[in-house]
Parts: sequence; structure tokens; C-alpha cells
Amino acid sequence: MPDMTREFLKPHFPWITLVALTIIVGLANPDFLSISGLISLMADVVPLLIMALGMTFAIYIGGIDLSVQQLANMVTVMTTVYLAQYGIGVALLVILAGALFGAVSGFVTTRLYVPSFVSTLAIGFIALSIAKWLSDQRALFMDATLRDIHFGWMFDTTMGVPHELVLGLVLVLLAWFLQTRTSFGRALKAVGSGELAAVASGLDVDRVKILAFCISGMFAACAGLMFSVKLSGGDAQLANGFLLLAIVAVLVGGTPLTGGVGGVINTLIGTLIVMVIRAAMVYLEVDATQQQMVFGIVLIIAIALTIDRSKLRGVVK
Amino acid sequence: MTGIAADGDASLGIMMRDVIVRWAPLLVLAFLVLLFPVFEWLEDFRAGQDHVYLLDSRFFSIRNASRIAVAATPGLMVAIGVTFIIIMGSIDLSMEGTVSVTAVIFAFAFLALGGTLAGWAWLAIPLAMLVGAAMGMVNGLIHVVFRIPSFMVSLAMGFVGTGLALVLTGGDRIRVEDELFRALLTVRWLNFPIMCYVALLALLVAWFIQSRTTLGRNFYAVGGGEELAQASGLNVTRVRVLGFALAGIFFALGALMAVGRIGIAETATGNNFMFISITAVVVGGTALWGGIGGVLNTMVGVLIVYVITNGMVVIGLPNWLQDGVLGALVITAVVLSTNRRSISFVK
Repeated sequence: MPDMTREFLKPHFPWITLVALTIIVGLANPDFLSISGLISLMADVVPLLIMALGMTFAIYIGGIDLSVQQLANMVTVMTTVYLAQYGIGVALLVILAGALFGAVSGFVTTRLYVPSFVSTLAIGFIALSIAKWLSDQRALFMDATLRDIHFGWMFDTTMGVPHELVLGLVLVLLAWFLQTRTSFGRALKAVGSGELAAVASGLDVDRVKILAFCISGMFAACAGLMFSVKLSGGDAQLANGFLLLAIVAVLVGGTPLTGGVGGVINTLIGTLIVMVIRAAMVYLEVDATQQQMVFGIVLIIAIALTIDRSKLRGVVK
Repeated sequence: MTGIAADGDASLGIMMRDVIVRWAPLLVLAFLVLLFPVFEWLEDFRAGQDHVYLLDSRFFSIRNASRIAVAATPGLMVAIGVTFIIIMGSIDLSMEGTVSVTAVIFAFAFLALGGTLAGWAWLAIPLAMLVGAAMGMVNGLIHVVFRIPSFMVSLAMGFVGTGLALVLTGGDRIRVEDELFRALLTVRWLNFPIMCYVALLALLVAWFIQSRTTLGRNFYAVGGGEELAQASGLNVTRVRVLGFALAGIFFALGALMAVGRIGIAETATGNNFMFISITAVVVGGTALWGGIGGVLNTMVGVLIVYVITNGMVVIGLPNWLQDGVLGALVITAVVLSTNRRSISFVK
């Protein structure tokens, strides 16, 4: 009987962890639970959420995308450089660039048999080169008026809700729709849960994988765009530090690296868990030098709690 | 090797291809070493200066070879450590944290014990290796006891390591200025600093562990097929934990080399080791899914990565272009050293 309860609860571990963490932090410091505080925390975490959403697709098929951080870096530079020329059209430009880079990663992984760990890392280096070239290796700043004309709407609020948060949720919905309501989403699941079986049943696995990396690239570009507008500038190192956090957000949400399980809603929860842990350290006044260590330890505990071991097929690599 | 009698030609073909794939990383390395001097020759040729290919090359010189060797030494140690883990089909991403922690603890202990190798401070070296082993063991234990994939455990342990180093140093840099210890870099035998020979010795030890001990063979057994290894009575859990501990020792060696090279231990000592070491392992021909490759492959892979990095600087490639070229060359190197027929799919 306890086994059945466990089976039943398993898929729910990630959000239970999130709620429990929130309550614990809230009890320790009630200020944490103020609505406006939580909303601004969530608004801050939107670029990370978007990046993690894209990463989810790469991990869902059993791969990984290490290029997202460099893509976002490149996009911050592109946005800053081309804003004057294309206005809001720059959004289209950078998303296309993200898609292109993702597609190349996918192509290199599937057709040239380079593991995604290496191919995406290498493609990321190429994006970094372009970022350095475009920016002349300097930090660039946006024209404040142009930024407000074209992207000012992103940071307005409606009834206290920041638009960037709404944008983040729209992208979650879009990713969720792709994952659960389209034949592409089902193909993703098939590839993730058993690539050989997917090939055997006649699925064009290469195409599905290339598309997954393409989507990852597009989301990374969106994250970079938002980041750039938010900080009103671009730089080849602006988004550094986001890669590992994005991976962590996906994993803590309960999408294991073996693929086929989890998904974008898990990533939403995972991102929120990461947010709560990081914010908690500020609210609980953890010493600045100790924060990273505490983050690592809490992370191990969170992963141990959220991961669904039944889908690891007996082998824990 | 099936059907030897039936079609000898085909199996000969397969053997040939196997031989080529096996030696591909070395061929790539040789090609790169010969490639960069071509650019130097071209430049002088266009300027109308005398230039004998290779002989007049700044890249293809003992002095530069020693520069590459010194730069590659810490990375080689770290990459050897992670090779054992990758052979088992797992992955270890904790190297940046482990290197930082062991470097910092080494430096503190070294200074506390008198600050010179002539006294008791030599004890700091085995201490650092013990700390590395302990961190690796914790990594491995969490991995097998809680059944969390090594990717996640080691990634989080990497955060813990970097964080611990930050707590220990409070963000300060610790200088290790003992002349005897710095002799690793400053004293040269046959044009190469001592640290290169120490690294070579460590490589030999790693090769011995890999190919002449039961533990080494068990790594391959686990990587080749974990269920099979388990079914034939191998204590896979023990092999895994020992593997991670062994990797930790080599990460500590990497930290010692890094401190020996720069003379400073800090939280940032471990930076950049993660991607460089894993790229080097893969470029060297060790497969990420386990069971194939080894430390000699890793040695070649590390050299490929550092030869590319160094060569680009020597031929004066613009700074912004270097990352992209490295990326493109890494993909090329992996493509050339992968036996496509033997893989059914790639993650």
C-alpha cells in the first residue's frame, strides 16, 4: 500500500517540493510571502525560465544544449546593434538567428554523429565569436528612447502584473501546446523514451531532433532578447552564468537527462524552485560567500526529492 | 569478426577502417601540427622573406612545444580523471569545484606547515590528493546510494566545491611562492619544465591503472554493459565509487599543477576545466556512452585542444575569431575520429 501511495505521488514530487520550500522560507521570514515581492521575484526569473523552456526540448529527447548561453550573449549584441535599423523587427531577426544556430547544432548532432554535449558547446563557441565580432569586444548600450518606443511595453504592468511575466507565461503555454497537443510533441516523447523503437516505427528521428534543437535555439534567443532590453545593452558575456542554472532548472523540475519524462510544466516548477532557493538565501540572510555552497547542497537534496527513478530503466548512469 | 572465410576482402576493409579510426586522433594532431606552420610560411612568403617550412616556424619549435605542454598540464590531469568516469558511461562535472577546493586547501596547508617543500609542507601534497579523493567519493556515494544520475550529482557537487573554496578563501587569492615548489615551472630538463615530466608520470600511472589492474578493467566492464557486469558478479556500486574517488585524485593533481603554474590558489583556479577536459576526452576518441577509449586517447585529445588554442595565437588569428575556429575544429576532430558504423544513434 505505501508503494502505491509512492507511485501515485511520484509525478507530484516537484511541485510538492516547491510548495514545501516556499512554506518553509515563508515561516522563517514572512516578508518572503508578500504578493508584490513574489511577483517581482518571478518577473526577474523570466529570462532564465525562457532559456530553461528551450533546454527542456533538448533534454527531453535525451540530448543537451550547451549553446544557449552563448546564443543569448550573441542575441544581446545583435539586439543592441540592430535595434536602430530594424526597430521591433529585430525580435524576428534574433529569433531566426537562434533557430538557425539550433538547426546547425541539430544537424551536426544527428548527421555528423557528434554527441550533443560537444556539438552544442562548439556551436556556442561560434556564436561567441560572432558576438565578439559584432560588439568589437566592448559592452554596448541601447539608445534609451528607441528601446522605450519598441520594447517599453515589455516592462509595463497591468493591474500590478508585469508584462514580462505575462510574456513568460505565454511562452510556457506555447511550449506546453507544442509538447502535448501536436504530433511533433508526441514524436519528441517517442524519441526520448526509446530512440531505437522510434526509428523502427518509421519516425524521422533526425528531423524531430533537429527541430528540438531549433526550438531550444529560438527560446535561447528570446531569453537573450529580453535580457538585452531589460539591461538596455549587449555584451558577449552578458548572459554568462545562465547555462548551468537553466540545466539545473530543468533537472530539478523532474525532467531527467535520459529523456522522455517530464516536460515544460516541470521546467516551470523547476525554475520556481531555483528562484525560491536563491531568494531564500537573501531572505534568510545567508552570508554572501556561503551562498553558492548552500545552493549546491540544497540542489542535491531537491534533486534527490524530485527525481522519478522508475523511469531511469534500472541503470543510473 | 564474422565471415572471415566467406568474404576476406570485406573483413579486411573493416579492419582497415578500424585501424584508421583508432589512430584518427593522432592523425588529426599531426595534421594540426603541420598546418599552423603553413600559415607562417604563407605570411613570410607574401612579405617576400626567406622562410623554410617548419625550420623557421615559431610554432614548430621546442620553445613553443614547451609552452603548449605547460599550458596543457593541469588540463591533462583533470581530463585523465574524467576519462575513467566516461569509460564507465557516467560523467563527472564536479572538476571545477574539486580543483578549486583542493588548490585552496593545498595552499592553506602548505603555508601553515612552513611554506616550503624543504620542511613539512610537502605533506600538503598528499593532503590535497586525499581531499580530492574524499570529494570524489562523496560524489560517487551520493550518485549510487540515492540513485541520482552522475550528471546531476556532479554538477551540484561542482557548485558545492566552488562555494566551499569561496567560503575558505573569502574571495582572497593565496600566493604560493616557495621556490622549491615553483621549480615545477621554473626548472627545466631538456627544455621542458619539471611539471611536464610529473604529468607524464601521472599519465603512466593512469595508463597502468586502466590497463593493468582489475579496477581499470572493471571500468570498461561497467561502461560496456552495466547489467552484464552486475550479472557476472561484479560489485558495480563499489567500482563506481572508487572510480569517482580516483577521478578526484587526478583533479587534485590538476589543481597542484595549476597552482604550480601560476603560483596562486583561488576560487577561480578551477574555472574552464569542465568544458576543456570533456571536449578533450571526446576529441581524443573516448566515447561518451562508455566502454571505448582510454587515457592515451585523452592525452592526444588534450594536445589537440591546446595545439589549436596555441596555434591560433601564434599565427595571429584575431581574438574574436579564435573561439569560433576552436568550435569548428573540435567538431571536425570529433567527426574524423568517430567510427560511424559502430554507433546506432547519438545523444
